Amino acid sequence: MYKYFNNIFVAISSILKGMSITWRHMINIRKGNVTLQYPEERWPRPERDIGFDLDSYNVIRSRLHVDIDDCIGCLKCERVCPVQCIKIVTTKAETKGEDLPDIGHTGITSNGTKKALIVSRFDIDMSECCYCNLCVYPCPEECIYMTGGPNSHKHPIDYEFSQYDRNDLIYKFAKDVDDEKISKYVSKKIK
Amino acid sequence: MTVDNLINWFPFGTEWPVLTFVTAVIICALPVFLFIAVYALVAIYAELKISSFMQDKVGPMGQGVGLHAWKFGILQPVADALKLILKEDIIPDLADKKLFVMAPFIVFVGAFISFAALPFGQNIIIADMNIGIFYILAVGSLSVIGIILAGWSSNNKWSLYGGMRSAAQIISYEIPAGLSIISIVMLTGTLSMQGIIEFQSGTIWGVLPNWIIFNNPFSFIAFFIFFISGVAECNRTPFDIPEAESELVAGAFTEYSGMRYAFFFLSEYAEMFVISAIAVTAFLGGWNSPISGFMNSSGWGVFWFMLKSLSLIFLMIWFRWTLPRLRVDQLMSICWKVFLPFSLVNIFGVGIWSLLVG
Amino acid sequence: MGVIHGDLMTLNIGPQHPSTHGVLRLKVKTDGEIISEVEPIIGYLHRCFEKHCENVTYDQVIPYTDRCDYIASMNNNFGYAVTIEALMEIKVPERVEYIRIIVAELNRIASHLLALGTYGLDVGAFTPFLYMFRDRERILDLFETLCGARLLYNYIWVGGLSHDLPRDFVESVFSFLDYFEPKIEEYNELLTYNKIFIERTADIGVLPPEVAISFGVTGPNLRGSGVKWDIRKDDPYSIYDKFDYDIPIGAGEMGTVGDCWDRYYVRMVEMKESAKIIRQALKGLPAGDVHQALPKKIRPPKGSIYKRTESPRGDLAYYIVSDGSPIPYRLKMRSPAFTALSVLGEISQGWMMSDVIAILGSLDIVLGEIDR
Repeated sequence: MYKYFNNIFVAISSILKGMSITWRHMINIRKGNVTLQYPEERWPRPERDIGFDLDSYNVIRSRLHVDIDDCIGCLKCERVCPVQCIKIVTTKAETKGEDLPDIGHTGITSNGTKKALIVSRFDIDMSECCYCNLCVYPCPEECIYMTGGPNSHKHPIDYEFSQYDRNDLIYKFAKDVDDEKISKYVSKKIK
Repeated sequence: MTVDNLINWFPFGTEWPVLTFVTAVIICALPVFLFIAVYALVAIYAELKISSFMQDKVGPMGQGVGLHAWKFGILQPVADALKLILKEDIIPDLADKKLFVMAPFIVFVGAFISFAALPFGQNIIIADMNIGIFYILAVGSLSVIGIILAGWSSNNKWSLYGGMRSAAQIISYEIPAGLSIISIVMLTGTLSMQGIIEFQSGTIWGVLPNWIIFNNPFSFIAFFIFFISGVAECNRTPFDIPEAESELVAGAFTEYSGMRYAFFFLSEYAEMFVISAIAVTAFLGGWNSPISGFMNSSGWGVFWFMLKSLSLIFLMIWFRWTLPRLRVDQLMSICWKVFLPFSLVNIFGVGIWSLLVG
Repeated sequence: MGVIHGDLMTLNIGPQHPSTHGVLRLKVKTDGEIISEVEPIIGYLHRCFEKHCENVTYDQVIPYTDRCDYIASMNNNFGYAVTIEALMEIKVPERVEYIRIIVAELNRIASHLLALGTYGLDVGAFTPFLYMFRDRERILDLFETLCGARLLYNYIWVGGLSHDLPRDFVESVFSFLDYFEPKIEEYNELLTYNKIFIERTADIGVLPPEVAISFGVTGPNLRGSGVKWDIRKDDPYSIYDKFDYDIPIGAGEMGTVGDCWDRYYVRMVEMKESAKIIRQALKGLPAGDVHQALPKKIRPPKGSIYKRTESPRGDLAYYIVSDGSPIPYRLKMRSPAFTALSVLGEISQGWMMSDVIAILGSLDIVLGEIDR
């Protein structure tokens, strides 16, 4: 009999306790509100002030971007990608470090490296990308990076890139030139 | 303003019964339907907002583009209703089609005709029957037939579970609810809704309003038994086991969509109002003002009645967003092992009380 | 009086069902509301994790381990890194060890918050779920400042970390803990000691310790049955032996030892203990270079290794066979959620429909890890 009434008492008191908590939250909604009105307010991206040389540590995961003028076609990013979403095709140029304005090829990267290869295809399938950031670390020219953060001076952040067509998520970074034009500059040995 | 008055008041009286009937429908049923529709929109909005505030979020804010793009998402329930109306009305291939189509309306009718005997104000009642409260309890349980039909005719195992659970639950909870109403009837000596309210005018010792809930300790308990049984009859959390979205995935309503689902939705909210209105009438003084003689005219009566009912509905919403769900057998054991003995003791106690004190 | 039995009804819970925590199908034989047989059918989320690992290099495996137990990626990374380091005999710097423990314990809190919140949802309480998600969000924010990703981190590498802590990270973790610890009391009041919740979970789905051990159940589920077994204490890896913390076990406070409530409550207490570990680790965080021990090329010697770690779900182990090439010859993951699921059929017989959902929720499975 004691147990019976004690049960009822415990039930009522614990329910009242729970209800007082929800009541407190309801009247303190102005202080406790955590909603972000998404299209009006954006999520505050944390500052990337991580206390040391920023450019060497890209700690942001968003859209991949390639500064194709800086790319020397070393294929390091393609090899390290765990899901093989980067596809690169290069051919050996006849001359090393020479601008070829005809096909939009720059000879010297912004780091001062002379390019020996013409990158005729650089595709990233962003729908396959797993945002692991592994491709960013090995790049010797720092030309492949995730947008925003420490790279925001190179490319503004862009993390809303949904598309209606899956094919639109394949980003083609190489200059759109037909193979015939490129073949003029390709090293004779390969030909 | 009752139907009897109307019929006498009309020039064509009983000579043209059809015309009288049609007029009565237009004058009585249409406003009730509109009232339910508007009230449901308000209640849905309130539920969205209250639940959000309890959960540290802001709820619909209407910052999109389109119809609901208005301040604080006020038009959100309208948009929801429009969406439900415009949605494809799917009837499963293997369903029992006639019953499937009928079920939502039966559920709705159960809630709808209860409004006939709800006293909104001193003179605002459609039919002040001498068996008012008995009538409401009787027709209120009509909705269980609709839910069983919905569960059965969907030809879906989940829906069947929901229908069966609902049947067991609603029928069980009728008993404590009815018993606690009986203790009120014993006290007031009338079944008429207006009669019960008139019993509650005035004050106790000049301080407390003379509401039945304050009349004696037994009716105080009876109020809670009735109200919680009422919550169970509405299938609201913590008694929402027939719907139980995490177990039965909406239970009896799994196969319903569009307009038919909207009717279930509407009748749930209408039923919430009916239960609150009965509780207000029977225990909280109906349209009587809480302070005797203060704003106690017939116009204010509607205000007090709505205020009291809506605060009970708020209580139901508050329950829902705080408590977990009970299991079906625990639900039954609460009904039969706690509520039933308590309400029987209540009847006895009220009897003794009215013999000694009254 | 005899019991009348009709035919049993077969019911499919899932693969699309809100309470299966992923894409799990439960083939259930029911006698009315009573469950007489539960058969979990898995494989709807199979992504060939182990086969994939045989085709990518050791460092490329880490993003794949993220995706196994996607609720606690840091712990998965941690386990993998520890295993390879043991195989290659790398000694990682002390700072790396401390940071690893901080992030792993933070992720344990995040994972338990999700488990408890969705458990509340399973038994019908919606509000605690959102409160817990609100607090989990703060941990994810910390991880976003740490490595840019909110869910799949790829942060703990073999021999080190992908990068050092950001500035002010230590202070923000401290402020998070100050905010979080009082919240546990609020959860307790709102959900844990709620009578309806106790009715729904106490004495339900009792997992006796012998059964738990014979099925190989580990982690909070085993500790809920009263067995004091935690890899962090019993087979310490990294520097867990340096810290002072308790291993909570189920005591049958509300019902029997090993019921759903015990399993739930062990997780609740474990969050407090994790907070304790994090505080100690933050205080003792040494300076140093996190890249010091990163190997130029991960090429473990010929041989095999089996090393276990304590993930939020239990005994997470990797078995790796190396043939000396930069690609693992064979990688096997022992997932704690798999064994936890296997015990479901044993302990949910004879309970009701709603209890099966409650029992499944209390086992805290992650389908990504079960199917791999």
